[in-house]
Amino acid sequence: MRRLARDPLVAIAVLLLWLLLGIFILYPLACLLVRAFTDEGGLTLRPLLAVAGDPNNRRAFANSLLLALIVGAGGTVLAFLFAFTAVRARLPPRALAVLDGATWLPLISPPFTISVAILFSFGPRGFITYRLLGIGNFTAYGLTSTALAEIVTYFPIAYLTLRPVLAAIDPNIENAALSMGATRWRVFRTVTVPLAVPGLANAFLLLFAASLADFATPLILAGNSFPVLPTQAYLQITGLFDLKGGAVLSVLLLLPAAGVYLLQRSWVGRSSYVTVTGKAGPQTGAPALAPPARAVLIAACAVVGVAIVYFYALLLYASLVLAFGANHAWTLQHYRVIFTEGLPAIRDTLIIAGIGMPLGGLYGVLVGYLVSRKRFAGRQAMEIVSMINYALPGTIVGIAYLIAFNAPPLEITGTALIIIACYVFRYSPTGIRATVAQLQQIDRSIEEASQSLGARSGTTFRRVTLPLIMPAFFAGLGVVFIRSMTAISATIFLVSISWTLITVRILENMTELALGPAAAFSMFVIVIVFVVIAAIRMLLSRVRAPGGATVETMLGG
Amino acid sequence: MTPVAIRLAGLTKQFAHRVKGQVYAVRDVSIAIAPGELLTLLGPSGCGKTTTLRMIAGFEDPDAGTIAIGERDVTHLMANERNIGFVFQNYALFPHLSVYENVAYGLRVQKKPHGEIARAVGEVLGLVGLAGYERQQPHQLSGGEQQRVALARAIVFQPRVLLFDEPLSNLDAKLRVQMRDEIRQLQKRLGVTTVYVTHDQEEAMAISDRIAVMDRGEIVQVGTAESLYHSPANEFVAHFIGRTNLLSARVTAIRAGGVEVEFGGHAVRVPGDGAGLAIGQAVRLVVRPELIALRPPTDKGFRGAVLSRTFLGEKAEYRVGVGDQVFQITEYTRPHGTAFKVGDEVTLVFPTDGMHVLPE
Repeated sequence: MRRLARDPLVAIAVLLLWLLLGIFILYPLACLLVRAFTDEGGLTLRPLLAVAGDPNNRRAFANSLLLALIVGAGGTVLAFLFAFTAVRARLPPRALAVLDGATWLPLISPPFTISVAILFSFGPRGFITYRLLGIGNFTAYGLTSTALAEIVTYFPIAYLTLRPVLAAIDPNIENAALSMGATRWRVFRTVTVPLAVPGLANAFLLLFAASLADFATPLILAGNSFPVLPTQAYLQITGLFDLKGGAVLSVLLLLPAAGVYLLQRSWVGRSSYVTVTGKAGPQTGAPALAPPARAVLIAACAVVGVAIVYFYALLLYASLVLAFGANHAWTLQHYRVIFTEGLPAIRDTLIIAGIGMPLGGLYGVLVGYLVSRKRFAGRQAMEIVSMINYALPGTIVGIAYLIAFNAPPLEITGTALIIIACYVFRYSPTGIRATVAQLQQIDRSIEEASQSLGARSGTTFRRVTLPLIMPAFFAGLGVVFIRSMTAISATIFLVSISWTLITVRILENMTELALGPAAAFSMFVIVIVFVVIAAIRMLLSRVRAPGGATVETMLGG
Repeated sequence: MTPVAIRLAGLTKQFAHRVKGQVYAVRDVSIAIAPGELLTLLGPSGCGKTTTLRMIAGFEDPDAGTIAIGERDVTHLMANERNIGFVFQNYALFPHLSVYENVAYGLRVQKKPHGEIARAVGEVLGLVGLAGYERQQPHQLSGGEQQRVALARAIVFQPRVLLFDEPLSNLDAKLRVQMRDEIRQLQKRLGVTTVYVTHDQEEAMAISDRIAVMDRGEIVQVGTAESLYHSPANEFVAHFIGRTNLLSARVTAIRAGGVEVEFGGHAVRVPGDGAGLAIGQAVRLVVRPELIALRPPTDKGFRGAVLSRTFLGEKAEYRVGVGDQVFQITEYTRPHGTAFKVGDEVTLVFPTDGMHVLPE
C-alpha cells in the first residue's frame, strides 16, 4: 500500500476502475441474482424450483448441454484438421491464405449468416434440397442443422487457438521419436496429439461455451421441437413479458457456463506443455507428412472451405435477387432498402461502435497494465471481475443490464450509453489479455530503466509502456468494433426506439421473412468489418513489437 | 559533482519461497562505500547481491534497514527520486526508441532544453565510442554496442551513483574483458561512486576498489582483491576467490610474527598473530595452487602421482593424488617436453610462507 500512497496516479486509476467494474459488472449481476432469488417474502428458491420443475425448461437445459457437447467435439475435430494442415502440410503460401480466409469469414460475420445460408440451402425451397434434389418438404430445423451451423460459425475460434499450439511444438521432439524408430503415425499418436492435449481441451471448452451462449443460431434454426435456454429466456421476456422468469432461466444457464469457466482457469491454464524448455527450439523442419495423409488432409480442408465459401456466395446471391427461391431476377433493391429504411440502424450501430472502440481499447490496456505491472490490494480480484461479463453468456449479461438499469439510481435503459457500456465491458477482456500477454514479453527492467532515469509512473507508462503495448491496444479496440457490429445476444435486450442495431434489424427482417434485406445487411456488415480489420492490420504491421498482438488476437473469440 | 558516499545499515529483505517458506534474500547487510569508490558485490547466484543492488536503486523495498546516499536517507524515496544510473543485465534499452532517444530519455524527463540535450547526448555517445549511431534502433546493434548505449544512458544525466547489475554476462569472453576495462576507466574519470554486481570473481578482481563477498544473503567479507585472496575469512571465500587447497592441520606453536602448524608430519610457519588460536587446535590451512611446486620424486616429503594435467597456455593445472587427498597445483609452463605427465611420480614442495590459517 505504501507504494500506492507514493504513486497517487495509480491509486486514482485503480479506484476509478473499481467504480466502473462495480457499476457495469457487479451491480447488474447482483440485480439479476436478487431478482431471481427473492420475492415479496425475501430470499427464496421458489422461482428457481418452479422454472426447473417445468419439463419444457428441463428439456431446454438438456438440449443446451447436448448441443454444446456436439459443437465442442465437432468443432474441435474440424479445427484440429485445419490447424494441423496449416502447420504441417507445407502448403504453398497462396493455399494457406485461402485456408485462413475461409476461417476468417465466419469470424467477421453477423450472427445469423450461416443460419440464413443453411435455410437458403436446405429450407422448404432450398437450393440444395429443393432445386438440386427435388425434395419439397425437407425440415431444415432442429438439432442437426443448429449444430452444423454452430460448428461452422465457431470452429475458427478453436482453429486460432490450436494453430499456435501445434506450431509451437518443437519439431526436434518429433524428430527424436522418429530417430528412435517410431513410424510417423505412431509419432502422431504418441507425441504430437498428447502435446496438443491442453490446446485441444481449451479449444473444446471455448466451443462449448460459445455454443451454450449462442442465441442467434437456435433462434433461427432450432425450431419449436428443440428449445434451448438462451432462446427460452428471450421468449419469456419478449413474448410473455416475464422478466423474472427470464432472469431465472438465465441463471440456469449460468451453472454450466461457470463450470466451463472454472475448468478453463484451473486446468487448461496450468497445463501447457509447449514452453517446457523456455527457449523455443531452432526452427528445424517438422517431419514431413506421408504423401497420402497430406492429400487426405488437404482434400478434407478443401471440402469444408468450399462449403463455407458456398454459404457466403449464396448469401451474396440472395442479396442481389428479388426473392430467393421464387424470383431470381437481379436487383439492387435490397441494398436500397437498407440504406433508406435501414439507415437509422446503420447510423446507430456505427456511432455506438465508433464511441465504444476507443473507450474499450483504452480500458483494456489500462486494466491489463495495472493487473500485470502494479501491486495493489485486490489486484487479482480486479483481473477476475473484469473477465466476468466476457465469460458469461450474452443472454445473462443482457437480462442483468435490463434489470439493473431500468430503474433509478442508474436509469439508462433506452440510451446509447447502455449499449456502449455493455460492449465495452463485455468485449474488452480480449484487449486486457492481449495487453497482459504483451507485457509478459516486455522485460520489467525496461520500465525500471525509465524509473531510474527519473521518470514518474505516469511518464513511464506514457513514454515507454504505452508505445510498446500499442498492438494490444489496437487489437482490443478492433474486437470492440467487430463485436459492436456483429453481436446480438446481450444487446437484443437493450435496444430501443431511439437506438437500434443492424443485427437486431437483421433478426426483424428474418421474422418478417424479408430475407433479401437480411442478406444485404449481412453483406454490408461483412464488408465494413473486413475493411476495419484490414486497416488495423496495417496499423499493427507498423507498430509491431516483440510478442505483439496480431489480427488473430482480435478474432479469437 | 562531488562524489558521495553510500551507506547501507541493517538492510534486510525476505521473500516467500515456494518450498522453504519465508527466506532471507538479504540479511542485515551493512556497509559504507566511500565517495568515488567502485565496490563490487560478489557471490554465487541467489546470494542476495542483485536484491541488495535493487534496493539501493529503489526497485525493491527493504523490510528493515536504511539506505543513505550522501547525507540523505533515501530508504523511502521512489527509484525516480534517487538520481541513480542503473545498467541492467539485459541492457533494458527502450526497443521503440532510437539510440539518441534512449540516451536522451533521462534529460527529457528533466525537461532540459533541446540544445543542451543534443550536446550532452553527443558528448556521452562520443565517450562510449558510439558517435554516429544516433539514428540506429536498438535491435540493429550488436551486444557490445547495446551495452555501450545502456552505459551512455545511465551516465548522461550525471547521476550521483552508478549501479551495474551483471552488465557483462551477455557478452563473449574477449568483449567482456574489453568492456570491463572501459567501464573502469570511465568510472574513474567521472569519479562517480559505483556499486557493481557480478558472480565472476576475475571480473570483480579486475574492476573493483573493494569487493564485498556475499553468501546466503549476508556479506561475509569486504576487502581489496588481494586481501581477500591472501587472507580469506572463511572456507567459502577461500573457495570463491581463486582456486584453493584446504589442508587439515594442527597448531603447534604461537610466536611473535607467526604461527607454527603441522600437517602430515611437516611443520610450516604461517604469518599472523595467532589471535583466536590455541596450541593443539585443529585448523584448515589455505594453500593456493601456485604456491606448491612439483619436483621429481624424492624419498622425503609428500610423494604423489599426477592424476590429470590441463594445459592452458602460460600455465598448466595439475591434480596430484597424495594418499587419499587430491591437490590442485598450478605450474607456469616449462620448456616444451619437460613437463610432468599423467601417471608420473612427483614430490610436492610447500612454501614456507604465503599460506593462511582458518579455524576448523
